[in-house]
Amino acid sequence: MQLMRRGQAAAFEVIYERHSQAAYSLAYRMAGSRGVAEDVVQEAFLNIWRSGARYERARGSVRTWVLGIVHHRAIDALRRSFVHEKRRASDEGLEETLETRERTDVEAARHEEAATVRAALAHLPSEQSQVIELAYFGGFTHSEIAEMLETPIGTVKGRMRLGLEKMRHGLGAGQVGLG
Amino acid sequence: MSTHRPDHAQWADSVGAYLLGALEPVEWERFEAHLAECPRCLHDVADLRVAVDTLPMSVPLVSPPPALKGRIMAVVNSEAQLLAAAGQRADVSETVATGRDADVPETVATGRDADERSPASDRGRVGGRRRRLGGRPLGGWLMRPGVALACALLLLAGGGAAGVLLSGGEEPRTVVATTQAPGADVRLKISEDGATLVAKNMPAPPSGRVYQVWLKRPGQDPEPTSSLWSTRSDGSAEVAVPGSLDGVEAVLVTDEPEGGSAAPTKPPVITATPA
Repeated sequence: MQLMRRGQAAAFEVIYERHSQAAYSLAYRMAGSRGVAEDVVQEAFLNIWRSGARYERARGSVRTWVLGIVHHRAIDALRRSFVHEKRRASDEGLEETLETRERTDVEAARHEEAATVRAALAHLPSEQSQVIELAYFGGFTHSEIAEMLETPIGTVKGRMRLGLEKMRHGLGAGQVGLG
Repeated sequence: MSTHRPDHAQWADSVGAYLLGALEPVEWERFEAHLAECPRCLHDVADLRVAVDTLPMSVPLVSPPPALKGRIMAVVNSEAQLLAAAGQRADVSETVATGRDADVPETVATGRDADERSPASDRGRVGGRRRRLGGRPLGGWLMRPGVALACALLLLAGGGAAGVLLSGGEEPRTVVATTQAPGADVRLKISEDGATLVAKNMPAPPSGRVYQVWLKRPGQDPEPTSSLWSTRSDGSAEVAVPGSLDGVEAVLVTDEPEGGSAAPTKPPVITATPA
């Protein structure tokens, strides 16, 4: 990151190589469109390039930081485009673009972690996983979700908190992290 | 000793929505204020953030198209060269770079970027920031020339005209540009805040090249600017035109090698006449 701060494009390229797939996957999951996902990732990584000095290790891994920015940009894209109907990645033939390169140990570990997280989500009561997914991946505010589900706002907020608490306990401290 | 504020109960259920970026802007700001003084909520936020940070991992992996890296690296390499040219001067305060441009990326203009905040803050501010910007597309700035830091400094150092673009009081107006790109629609929007090229259906520059903006004054060679840019995937772009338009007869755009050129190497693909 220090090298990136000094404007070394090669250092940035390493960051891109390491995290672009996760970044694009998240953007694609949220936007449901390759074009929008590309824009989101482009904006996020150029933001990272231009402000690399602002990464602080104490606040988490580089991956967490990168994905936080991607998430932020994706929500901006969703909200400014007023595209709030759910658009699933499978709509565009996700199968064709799944990663096919040889899996390294790191990638294998990430696949395991992904399975753990999916399991934790799957074990939540559906009303809790629903509000979490609508908020995090759909970019909806709690009031929008409340209106959509015809449910009181307080209930929606409560479900979000409860769901995250259950996920947290299900994942276990330190078992899964965005390294 | 109490570990939480008297109003803790009011906010306890907002922790999840806060971390998920689902609070309304005003509520987000109020929660942040509460968070600063409530150790209990602070603890809960830190604890539940672990769960939120794993959510991206649940997403099926999809490979980005190789061309995306090419587009990003073209801009990065260009800006790295500018940064190198600016050298140590690039470490000077950002305010030097931001003086000229109300449209400079909010992140730079304010020094308060998403990256400065914690992931929780990052998410929480999403809605709020968008709304504070009045719906102005945030993506536009990324297509802007401006690596505010290095570019503006470089222009200043080189005797360029970084600074306030237009004299006050000028009425906003739009000029339709001519373009060599079939089907492209490019307009030059001029206001007292500056001039911006707004492109639609514009093809991306050829591989390994970037678009560069030039200012052409009568009897003079085109003056290079720091505006190096590419298009979004849908062919759109919003590009701030740096420097004063005083005496400029045409704003030109050519495609140039990464890093830009001192003089155009190709005929312009866009020509806008501000007068």
